[in-house]
Amino acid sequence: MPAETSSPTDVTMPQLGVSVVEGTVVSWSVAVGDVVEADQPLCEIDTDKIVTDIPSPAAGVVAEILVPVGSTVEVGAVLARIGLGAPAGQAGLRAGPVAGEDDSAGGAADIVSPAPPARSASAADASDSAAVSPSMPVVQAAYHSPVVQRLAAELGVDVAHVVGTGAGGRVRKQDVLAAAARVDDERPLHIESPYRPDDESEPTGQLSRIRRAIGAHMKRSLDTAATCTTWMEADMSRVEQARRDAKASSLLGVTALPIVARAAMDALGEHPALNATLEGERYTRHDAVHLGVAVSLGEDGLIVPVIRDAHAMSVEQLGLAIRDLARRARARQLAPDEVRGGTFTITNPGQFGSLMATPVINQPQVAILDLEAIVKRPIVVTDDAGNDVIEIRPQTILGLSWDHRALDGAQAAQFLGAVRRRLERWDG
Amino acid sequence: MPTMTYLEAISDALRQELRADERVLVMGEDVGAFGGAFKVTDGFVEEFGEGRVMDTPLAEAAIVGTAVGAAVVGMRPVCEMQFADFVACGFDQLVNVAGKTHYRSGLAVPIVVRLPSGGGFSGGPFHSQNPEAWFMHAPGIKVLAPSTPEDAKGLLTAAIRDPNPVVFLEHKHLYRRIKGEVPVGTYETPMTARLAREGEDLTVIAYGAMVHAALEATTPEQVDGASVEVLDLRSLVPLDTEAILATVAKTSKIVIVDEANETCAAGAQVAALIAEHAFEQLDGPIRRVATPDVPIPFSPPLEQAVLPSVERIRDACRDLLAY
Amino acid sequence: MATQTAGPAGARDPAAVSETSLGPSAHLTAADRVELLRAMLLMRAIEARALTLYRQGRVPGSFYDGFGQEAVSVGAAFAMSPQDRLCILHRDLGAHLVRGVAPPRILAQYMGRASGVTGGRDGNVHFGDPALGCVPMVSMLPDMMCVAAGMAMAFKLRGEPRVALTFFGDGSTSRGDFHEAMNWAGVQRLPVVFVLENNQYAYSTPLSKQFAVDPVERARMYGFPGVTVDGNDVEAVFETVRAARSRALAGEGPTLVEAVTMRMHGHAAHDDMRYVPPELLAEWAERDPIERQERRAASLGVDVEALRAEVEAEVDAAAAEALAGQMPDPANAAHGVFAVGAPQPLGDGRAPWSGFAAEPATAVRDPLSAGAGTDGGEQRPAEATV
Repeated sequence: MPAETSSPTDVTMPQLGVSVVEGTVVSWSVAVGDVVEADQPLCEIDTDKIVTDIPSPAAGVVAEILVPVGSTVEVGAVLARIGLGAPAGQAGLRAGPVAGEDDSAGGAADIVSPAPPARSASAADASDSAAVSPSMPVVQAAYHSPVVQRLAAELGVDVAHVVGTGAGGRVRKQDVLAAAARVDDERPLHIESPYRPDDESEPTGQLSRIRRAIGAHMKRSLDTAATCTTWMEADMSRVEQARRDAKASSLLGVTALPIVARAAMDALGEHPALNATLEGERYTRHDAVHLGVAVSLGEDGLIVPVIRDAHAMSVEQLGLAIRDLARRARARQLAPDEVRGGTFTITNPGQFGSLMATPVINQPQVAILDLEAIVKRPIVVTDDAGNDVIEIRPQTILGLSWDHRALDGAQAAQFLGAVRRRLERWDG
Repeated sequence: MPTMTYLEAISDALRQELRADERVLVMGEDVGAFGGAFKVTDGFVEEFGEGRVMDTPLAEAAIVGTAVGAAVVGMRPVCEMQFADFVACGFDQLVNVAGKTHYRSGLAVPIVVRLPSGGGFSGGPFHSQNPEAWFMHAPGIKVLAPSTPEDAKGLLTAAIRDPNPVVFLEHKHLYRRIKGEVPVGTYETPMTARLAREGEDLTVIAYGAMVHAALEATTPEQVDGASVEVLDLRSLVPLDTEAILATVAKTSKIVIVDEANETCAAGAQVAALIAEHAFEQLDGPIRRVATPDVPIPFSPPLEQAVLPSVERIRDACRDLLAY
Repeated sequence: MATQTAGPAGARDPAAVSETSLGPSAHLTAADRVELLRAMLLMRAIEARALTLYRQGRVPGSFYDGFGQEAVSVGAAFAMSPQDRLCILHRDLGAHLVRGVAPPRILAQYMGRASGVTGGRDGNVHFGDPALGCVPMVSMLPDMMCVAAGMAMAFKLRGEPRVALTFFGDGSTSRGDFHEAMNWAGVQRLPVVFVLENNQYAYSTPLSKQFAVDPVERARMYGFPGVTVDGNDVEAVFETVRAARSRALAGEGPTLVEAVTMRMHGHAAHDDMRYVPPELLAEWAERDPIERQERRAASLGVDVEALRAEVEAEVDAAAAEALAGQMPDPANAAHGVFAVGAPQPLGDGRAPWSGFAAEPATAVRDPLSAGAGTDGGEQRPAEATV
């Protein structure tokens, strides 16, 4: 049974500001069993700065409400869980499969393995009542088992980007090994395709359907656009400094991606020509930036969920949004609307050590920004006295593929320069 | 290669050693004229005489103690406790005399104590035990527990030739139920673990009768096509740490089965070893399937409820596979 | 064969044990008799020195001795041939000395030194030098009765003219192993001598609380004789055990030899034995086994003082040597739990009795050389004889 149809979505306490560490639930506007839409407000949270609504991360049925009104929880705590599908008829929202229930709707309300399963109470199963058999532990969201941590460190795999196929979406040993094995196989590939929850893998000897779909879109993109790529090197010292500071004080992820994304948002403000779509003859510039973020799905290729109105988000918010989308993407929990409507895309395959790439533009957009590995290098720096000295700095090569039908090289270079300037002057 | 039962293989080992080495003698209750409670020594007294196939009084302490005495003057006694459970009556001689003498004085005590062990046939609390952990815990005593006829013969031979006290657990349930190919002639099986089945996704570690239950519980059909490795410990002291750690490194998921009572059973020691030395290999908690800490009950539904069943082993594996 | 002393269970009245029922053994030469005295003197001197060392804090753990009982272990061991085997207990240091364990090793053993018989692995008199045919005791008494029966069982199986002997106390006859060993030895008619050292007390427990029927009487119920002997007459003990040994060699099975004596010191050095009536101690002090043997030796013209001085000097030297020994290396603490390779069975011990010198096969050996084993060390097919 594919795990993706029955794993619930966590509604977690967001971090609404760098210094926010907790929030109090003021009210719930839904109850267990209610059908909710994506973005529908579920509850109100009071931090010491604001009272705000928490919108539902997914469409579905409220399966659990874990934090009652008046309780204060830490950022990241699970407030509620949303299950997919239609509601169960009864209050059958217990953990574990209920023996004999053939109701497909009931199946949606079931919560698979993280919670201790209630065994069916058949008399023949006396072995369980006599023997005390321990249940499997609840899988904590960010926990990685010892072997997973060790292998990830040894193989240079960023566990945060590994698709988990274990209980509750946890990353297993096989997943890390598979991720490591694929390092050299791929150039970053992009698709803009509808989310297909029913995809199953094809027998070996043939590319899977998803692969073929991705390939078709890549080919079409290259056939359609006049794809060029421009590169620019950026000194990431201040960004790395900000990352070290961020780690100490907040939930900000350990990658540079949200920082680069924020810099790109600002640069797009100055160079709106790159925040556009070209469909056939129709050329549209967009005010808002709906930022596509490429997420690897392991064997199943790539998907590009979209952060809407990314231009309005802080680095912290972008970081959270990216993590949330990535996690849900791997758990196959994206809503179809979440993979449409992007105006600009960013990709970050640098965890594998590559320095430069020639990304394929995500149709019908006109540009895509590529963030590769950050590598320490000796570079020439002019000090305050005007002397050139060699220092060791973390450097990265920003890549931008752009459509020469809509843009020219100068615009591409200026945009990249704007991104670079912001990164090199980054002060958090 | 002939096929024989587990019991026949044990007899074969005894017979061959009695023939090859005049120092070997068999001693126990009813082993001579009667041929043994389970007929392991059937026909022996006719071939080897009453001196070397000795019917002893009902006196477990003296069986073990006199075996120690005979051993230190050059014999190789193979004692039998009629049921493993009765070794408790000879515990002091085994643990305090046999186990500690070499350490204290360099005097070797080459005895074997054969223990027909295990439950599953309404033997009740005094005829069904798996007492191996008591002796794993006592320094100076080796503990062997074969699961196949080939290993039973080879390990018993090795035990007889070992210069140390060896407790040899013969699982009664396997006596006539398990048949296998057994090499002709004399051979010693090393006191190491054996892979009963190779696999990739999860390992079940077991010994004795539980090896067979583990194999049955983890065929691909039982575990959604997963590939389950089964490690047969065979030797509890010395314990094959290398094989245990190797299988953890390979599959990262471990289920340990003990037919013995759970607390401080052999599997508890294996689990502790893995947790200490293979922490970074683990992709899930170490699971144990064991008999709870109860005397083995007599009535079949009660007994079946406490002994680890194929179903319990299978379910534990499936849980862990899905983790 | 000595007469049985039948009587009510209870403290042995010293007067009830007949000294004259056994005259000086016809089997002892003058040299033997002096050797007996010498061994007893050595035992007492070693134990006295060890007690001093104990009180000086140089002997860890507890300290046990056989003060006043020296005749039992010396007399009994004196009757054992080199190929015989012994299980020796904590008040039987004399047996170790007769068998040839060197005094420095004994004192080093008390002090837990590497040069002690067990290299620090076990303490006080929990030792036995396997090379000299002595099996180390365990604290669970009388476990060694079963072991001795087993050794005798092997001798009988192999048709060897050898005997096993073990010591044990009045207290330990209450435990199951006493019964199992006696029964087994009786059923199989084993060539074993069970020497019951009846020293009146098991720690603080007098005989009246220990058994309702005298063990020496119970022997008959197991199918073999029980004999009582004055445990403070070393020559009587020797003679009784010698006779029991002959019985065994003749295929007549086991004998229980009850050597009646008195534990003159406490159970251990930490015991002030206030539970012992002082008059009992006074009575037994009159019958000190060493003084008795000294009188006999003097009557043979031996310079007893000179002998004492010789023994003292030997113990002085032994103490100096033992004190110079190293403590054991902690790095080896976990070594040697298991034997590796072909097991070395017990070796032959020293047998100073002149009766053995008459038999060519029983040459007296240097007690300090590791006795070559006469028991089978290698596998041999069934046709060969041992």
